[in-house]
Amino acid sequence: MAKLRLDKVKPLVALGVFLAAWWVIPTTVKSFMQVSFAEFQAPAWVATSYLDDLEGFWARRSHSKVELIEAGRDLARIKSLYQFNAQRNRTLELEVERLEAILNLPSRREFRYEVARVIRRDLSAWWQHLIIRKGRDFDIPVGAAVVFSGGVVGRVVEVDAFTSRVELITSPNFRIAARFEGDERPVVYQGAPQSGFGDPVGSVRDAPQDIMASRQAPLQLVSTRLGGSFPPGLSIGRVTWLEPGSSGIFQAGQVELDPRLLSLHEVAVLISLSPTDSVNNAP
Amino acid sequence: MSQFDVHRRENPRIVFFFWIVLLAGVTLVVGLGWRQLIANQKYEAIEKRQTERRILKPGPRGDIYDRKGNLLVGNRPHYSAVVYLDDLRREFRSEYSTIIRAERERLKELYDATPETGRTEASLIPNYNELQWVARQNVIQGYVDTINRITGRADTVSTKEIIRHFNEQLLLPLVLVEDLKPDEYARLIEQVPVQSPIEIHTGTARYYPYDGAAAHALGYVQNVYPDPEEIPDDGIKTYTFKTQEGKSGLESFFDDWLSGQIGTEIWRVDPLGFQDSLLEQKTPVQGQDLVTSIDIDLQLAAENALGDRTGAAVVLDVRTGEVLAIVSQPSYDLNDLSPFIPRKIFDSINERGAWLNRAVQLSYPPGSTFKLITAIAAARAGTTSLNTEHDCQGVYRVGNRIFRCHARNGHGIVDEAAAIEGSCNVFFYAEGLRMGIDVLSAEAKRFGLDKKTGIEIPFETGRLVVPSMEWKRGEIGAGWVPGDTVNTAIGQGFLLVTPLQMATVMASIARGETRTQPTLRALTAEAAAEVRHGGESIGLTLEQRAELWEGMERVVSPYGTGRLIQIEGLRIAGKTGTADFRAHGENVNLAWFIGTAPVEDPQIAVAVMVEGTSASDRFQGGSTAGPVAKDIFLEFIEQYPERAGF
Repeated sequence: MAKLRLDKVKPLVALGVFLAAWWVIPTTVKSFMQVSFAEFQAPAWVATSYLDDLEGFWARRSHSKVELIEAGRDLARIKSLYQFNAQRNRTLELEVERLEAILNLPSRREFRYEVARVIRRDLSAWWQHLIIRKGRDFDIPVGAAVVFSGGVVGRVVEVDAFTSRVELITSPNFRIAARFEGDERPVVYQGAPQSGFGDPVGSVRDAPQDIMASRQAPLQLVSTRLGGSFPPGLSIGRVTWLEPGSSGIFQAGQVELDPRLLSLHEVAVLISLSPTDSVNNAP
Repeated sequence: MSQFDVHRRENPRIVFFFWIVLLAGVTLVVGLGWRQLIANQKYEAIEKRQTERRILKPGPRGDIYDRKGNLLVGNRPHYSAVVYLDDLRREFRSEYSTIIRAERERLKELYDATPETGRTEASLIPNYNELQWVARQNVIQGYVDTINRITGRADTVSTKEIIRHFNEQLLLPLVLVEDLKPDEYARLIEQVPVQSPIEIHTGTARYYPYDGAAAHALGYVQNVYPDPEEIPDDGIKTYTFKTQEGKSGLESFFDDWLSGQIGTEIWRVDPLGFQDSLLEQKTPVQGQDLVTSIDIDLQLAAENALGDRTGAAVVLDVRTGEVLAIVSQPSYDLNDLSPFIPRKIFDSINERGAWLNRAVQLSYPPGSTFKLITAIAAARAGTTSLNTEHDCQGVYRVGNRIFRCHARNGHGIVDEAAAIEGSCNVFFYAEGLRMGIDVLSAEAKRFGLDKKTGIEIPFETGRLVVPSMEWKRGEIGAGWVPGDTVNTAIGQGFLLVTPLQMATVMASIARGETRTQPTLRALTAEAAAEVRHGGESIGLTLEQRAELWEGMERVVSPYGTGRLIQIEGLRIAGKTGTADFRAHGENVNLAWFIGTAPVEDPQIAVAVMVEGTSASDRFQGGSTAGPVAKDIFLEFIEQYPERAGF
């Protein structure tokens, strides 16, 4: 009888022993194990993503020739449009550089970018992460800004050999300095717990009292260069209401984010060209 | 029958203990009932005192605007990095354990190294209390270092500050770094993780979009703890954030109006005093806004015109008495005083004598601008008539004393208008003597020169002197002599007034009255229509008034002393003045101008006073103060062309 009882509690005892051992293991060992686990998992994620790409490729191959020719034509049009835009941007950049040289201004080119595929989405009520298919192999640094065509995506929080973990702008742990378009005063943007079914949202606080937002006249929240990790003017979201905060003078409100954030396939990581801008997160 | 009954029968002594136990039981029950049912309120109050803490958060102050709605004083975000010590308790304990272990080892090594004869067991015991503070200081400094690394600052926190915070402000956040610049704030927002105990606190500080404009009139605030009378007296221990209190100018005069309503938080705390749960919260409310009568464009024009010179300028709306501009130089940048006054800035302002509002807090002899009062007094007293003339030969003898006119060779034969135009001393010496000091003194008092104006600026000087025989006897202990009268007649001698008072005199003359009540509050159209300044009619006949105005207008004519003030298309009437007085052991020259325009329908009254100390300077009302007034009139035309008749 006693033996039977001992058998029953054996898993609990094992769990207890494991937890106790985990508790006393030094932090460095724990970190090492965590990193090893991530590195161990990463090839599987990367391989899966390549397989997805291959699957997509073969799915496209299965289309008729006419469809492929039409798609190729569309693609060529889009490509030429982008090439034209790229050329125009290059011309403008050169003009800016020329003016900077004349006026003796320091160069404003502060970031280079790395385009990366999204290979995994880790979205829950507690955290909102993306795994991208570039890591130390492309010199992605921790703290780098991640953007897409709709604006800010998030920030790199962990870099492994071939992958990086990006904290999404929707995460409650994500916080940046921002400003309203047309106003220079800094405000704070922070992610908020997501409802799961609705569009992604965040929150804004420390907005001055004279700023008004309504559904009829929403305000655009954009990034600011002040914090050092994001270039200025990138869209964060739309603010449709603000209400007085607990301080009695500043306002707080909700930010409606781009719904595409939760279904991204590709993002760009902005890597600061200035070594002093590297971001060191505080404890 | 119980066991005790058996014992009772066997041993009657047990009865005694039976009753004692019964009595004790009854006492306990009654005591319990007393405390639970009757004295429960007392114990509730004690429990409340022990377990609840109140935090008072002041509301931001109201904004101050000029008459056109331009923001003169507002609130700007004031960023600081703070930590709640409650969040650091685990780290304190961990650091303390580390330090204690290290200290014990150190003491043990020291003990072992000491010869046996000199060893004491006490030397093995660490100073626990001191090490506790060291542990706390290490942890907190660690967070300050983090902030320093991100912002590039080099701040430190001392053990003394930490001890004081623990003892006095435990529930309030400990400020690690104050007054962060916007870029430092943004960096911290982005680089300090959300879970970090470091919080970026956004408070408010006064902000002045026009820097030092109207600094003396607007005033400044100081961070102080709230008035103890505002703290509810219910025994709950209360922690208070500092609030802003007006210390000068409108900030001080309208302090109650501008002050925000204090917000309250009541927290339940644990036995160590750290916060446990929020029981009650009331949000602070911003104070009420104040709209002043100041016109910032006129104010800036007057300040620019006065420049770096020491002096004052006041511009009044003739009809309502609203102060459109009030300048005192030297001045200071109000933004330098917010959120607190650095010692270096305080000393610098002190050394320059810039704290003083020369428009209302210092009194000066008005010089020849006072001749207008002398002229009015003489006309009303009947000692002068439209035909009165005096021959000015440059000197005037009173007994054995010679009194000079500023025109060395004299003005020749002058009537009243010519005397005002040329500021002839001899004419007014003679008129002063003819009417006597009693009449002259009474006239000055009729214009309110012996009383404070009552403007909404604190600390208006009370050192105002309109001399009379009684005054001299009482204050100086000497008898009045005719020389005193002639000196007073030209605005010298004992006479002391403020520039604001001379502006009110000009406004009163412009309206044909004797008093002007200046105000710094913008009046609504209805209130402006009902303004009563409280004086009486100036009491001159039409002819007398015409002669006075002719004289004043001729001052600002090609041959008048104020010829530099002339503006094409604008008829200006006024009076220049130059005076000497002694202050801080040196002779100070004063250049005055008071005037009004347009003559057809006076709208503004201007008083300008410039201090100078060099006797060799060409320091005269017309050439020194006049151009300042001219710039003010030009700006008036720019801002109010219709009122200026353009």
